[in-house]
Amino acid sequence: MLIRSAPGDAPRSPELHRRLRWLIAVVAVAFLVLTARLWQLQIVRGDQYFEAARSNVVAERFLPSVRGKILDRDGVPLADNRPAFHIYVVPRMVDDAARDRLAQLLRLDPDETERLRTRLAAARERSPDRAVMVLEDQGRDRAGLVAQARLRLGPGIEVRDEPYRDYPHGTLAAHLIGYMNQPSSRELAELEALGYDASEFIGRYGIEREWENFLHGKKGIERYITNAKGERVEDAEAEDLIEGPRFVPPVSGHDVVLTIDAELQELAEQAVRAQAAAAVAVIDVDSGRIRALVSTPSFDPNVMTGHLTRAEHERMQADPRRPYVDKTLQQHYPPGSTYKFVVASAALEDALVSPHERMMCTGAHQLGRRTFHCLSSHGVIDLLQALEHSCNIYFWKLSERVGIDRMAEVARDFGFGAPTGLGINGDVPGTVPDRAFYKDRGFQIGHTLNAATGQGDVEVTVLQLAMAYAALANGGRLFAPQVVERVVAATGEVVAEYEPVVRRRVAVSADNLEVIRQGMWRVANAEGGTAHTYGHSDIVDIAGKTGSAQVRSRRSRDDEGTRGWDPRRSHAWFAGWAPASDPEIAVVVLIEHGGSGGRVAAPVAKEIIEGYFTRVKKESRPAPAAGEEAAP
Amino acid sequence: MTERSVALARASLGGGRWRRFLARFDWPLFLALAIVAVVGLANLYSATYRTAHSVKFDNQVMWTSAGLGLYIVITAIDYRTLHRLAWIGLALAVIAIVAVKLLSDPIKGSQRWFELGSVNVQPSEVAKIAVILALARLLHDRAQGEMQGPAEVAPALIGLALPIVLVAVQPDLGTASLIALIALSVGFLLVKNLWPLVGGVAVALALLPVLWERMEEYQRGRVLAFLDPSADPTGLGWHTQQSIFAVGSGRMSGKGFMDATQNHFNFLPEHWTDFPFSVWAEEWGFIGSVALLLVFAFLVLWIVNIALNARDRFGTAICLGMAAMLFWHVVVNIAMVLGLAPVVGVTLPLVSYGGSSTIAFFVGLGLVSSVSLRRHGY
Repeated sequence: MLIRSAPGDAPRSPELHRRLRWLIAVVAVAFLVLTARLWQLQIVRGDQYFEAARSNVVAERFLPSVRGKILDRDGVPLADNRPAFHIYVVPRMVDDAARDRLAQLLRLDPDETERLRTRLAAARERSPDRAVMVLEDQGRDRAGLVAQARLRLGPGIEVRDEPYRDYPHGTLAAHLIGYMNQPSSRELAELEALGYDASEFIGRYGIEREWENFLHGKKGIERYITNAKGERVEDAEAEDLIEGPRFVPPVSGHDVVLTIDAELQELAEQAVRAQAAAAVAVIDVDSGRIRALVSTPSFDPNVMTGHLTRAEHERMQADPRRPYVDKTLQQHYPPGSTYKFVVASAALEDALVSPHERMMCTGAHQLGRRTFHCLSSHGVIDLLQALEHSCNIYFWKLSERVGIDRMAEVARDFGFGAPTGLGINGDVPGTVPDRAFYKDRGFQIGHTLNAATGQGDVEVTVLQLAMAYAALANGGRLFAPQVVERVVAATGEVVAEYEPVVRRRVAVSADNLEVIRQGMWRVANAEGGTAHTYGHSDIVDIAGKTGSAQVRSRRSRDDEGTRGWDPRRSHAWFAGWAPASDPEIAVVVLIEHGGSGGRVAAPVAKEIIEGYFTRVKKESRPAPAAGEEAAP
Repeated sequence: MTERSVALARASLGGGRWRRFLARFDWPLFLALAIVAVVGLANLYSATYRTAHSVKFDNQVMWTSAGLGLYIVITAIDYRTLHRLAWIGLALAVIAIVAVKLLSDPIKGSQRWFELGSVNVQPSEVAKIAVILALARLLHDRAQGEMQGPAEVAPALIGLALPIVLVAVQPDLGTASLIALIALSVGFLLVKNLWPLVGGVAVALALLPVLWERMEEYQRGRVLAFLDPSADPTGLGWHTQQSIFAVGSGRMSGKGFMDATQNHFNFLPEHWTDFPFSVWAEEWGFIGSVALLLVFAFLVLWIVNIALNARDRFGTAICLGMAAMLFWHVVVNIAMVLGLAPVVGVTLPLVSYGGSSTIAFFVGLGLVSSVSLRRHGY
């Protein structure tokens, strides 16, 4: 039976006719909304989405450049590259669950998990389509685990085999060479303009940092078509979407050849290995080239480069000996008696003393109501003997004749009070006090006496002192310190070669310098010289000066018998050169809070100098070319 | 059967009957849906070309052909025959939904498919047609003076609500809401007194928080992802984001047939079922997208026009039901593709890949065609 149809032409559904306009309105509004949205997406934002869709399929892969090596003067690599496995992720394809699966698979420790988390989060913000390194230098086992678990981990996680920075000698010359790590998100904004990628490390300290531009090289780029899984696809039509070249090969960085002698550096580090905190500088006196530069305690750049844990970092930060600080450049110290040559030079130059003028040392020097003490009663001595015994009273008397401003002038002439210009690791200026310096506090004659013996407000860096002693030794040529000898491209082409630079000839006559050299020869070679007992060498004549610089926070008398590190104890210094008569190298040794310079620093210097002449020095090596000033 | 229609049927035997059929056949309706079906096939061809899914094109050609056949057959059948079968059809649909729940292996966490040989039948798609027919009968009978009191209407309403509830607990909230939307739309257009309906909708909205509590985790995720698609680019919002990229990158005139990169490199997984419009919009741009929208709008309004001129309230209700089904499918699906609605499994009529959906639309539109054919006393 069929249904009965309503008869006639009357509307069968009067409600429908009444509500028809609502129906049409709803349909019209719905389709208009969709059309408006299409307009917005395709016309208003079309170009933007076209670009987004293009970058979806065009993948860019950066090909890492091989970083230049850092070599010693004989080509021994101090910083090199080794193959290593890194884990890269494409942020867009790796959600939090996949990230956690990865962390679980590799059993990451909390430090590593945190690093993975922050790097992935930053990369998602920055460029979600480009693979970024999240875990560096993962070792064969972990690389194997990731490779095997590809299906379980899901797309977007891969292991890449790329060169990684390696410091084959570990802590050797750590402060000088420096280390590398990943730039922060904030730094990346600038670095990307310079061609860096988030996965790249940059030099953070030492040569690695300051010579970054030469070492870095230039990354290559490979562009290809990819599907949503990140798999490479060959599609001739889609390849038209690729903008720019499809393949740009990476350019290797330049090698930086240092003036350092790795063997001597090793020897110098061995010489201070028993010291809690020390610094050494060894300078070629005829070129100003640094042959060794030691600061200890130091760090292992292999650890600093991508393997520093939070705990280790905190331990280093908490160490009062400050392992992160380069004690040859970033820190200044009172030089103590090693500074006495300044007042002596000034007095000789101004003819305020003759080498043979004898003065009386009773062991005490009266100045108004204050009494300044000498180490002992030296009796009646001349200038040479005063240097030999490091008699404070003799130099105090000289300083009263010379005055603090003239002393400061000579000190500045020798390079104190201004950065050496080496250009790495801060290179602080130190302090050379003069009357103007005390203008606010009120100048007193005591300041002059203190300045004469390298105490009070005088502060120098180890490298400044070494350059000054090199100038004493070489007849007055103050060199600019030099640590990079040349830069060589990977092709072998020499990109830059650096000649020694004489900053100036110090304004002290050759004769007067000879007097001081004589005195300093006696320090290590005459009976009773302050370095004779511990610093005299039978192999080579050493000249120099000891120093035991009191530290300002001194509360009790020095306890010079114990080794170790007591911040109230004096700094032990030895500054000198060898051979005494025909100088080759200048050496400065600072044992931080080591106590007596003669007893603690001098034997270290002697060990380094003897090692240099017996083991390191190679006769076959051509004499280094000195600046034009060096020509006789 | 009335005396008149019997006489007409007798008179139209032989070639005259065929000529009459062709003369009364609703050609605009047929042409519009043919355009959509061809667009759908071309789009699917592009979407699956040279992929492991290219067999889907062959399947869809098969289903479209079968659908067209059914469309012609149903046009020829007098829709009024179905008045009697409406409640039986609804009962069969309910049984099929329950059977799916009980028999099928879980696919993707919910049971929506029914394996018949090698073909997966999705009863919830067919259920829409059954609900429309049952609703049409209810509205017809009530207007004719049958089923006057609440005691007669209530069992019918419960019968209509049953498939909706069953689909919702499958769980397939998208389809359930869609069936409810279709039924409500028809009700709002045909029921005399709207207040009970308004009350019912108000109660349903009040129950939304309860529903939220009971939702599966993935469903909540979809709603949340819709609210902020960029929050989790690797998660569910990824679909919406990539869909927007695809649509937007089509710009004014599109990238050209077969040149959609978003589609070809698989940035939208399974785009042939839920996201075919993104492929269309990417390849044909704003012009092609608006053109397709216009065809859909024409179809909806043309069916409403048929409803207005239907011979009886049963036919009117069937047409309005199909207009509503078409309208909501188009609007929800495209809104989802354009990032205006959460990702729910609602197909784009005759464009989305899938046998059940394709057949359901051809059958439903065949009913409309049948109503149209008979509006002036065929």
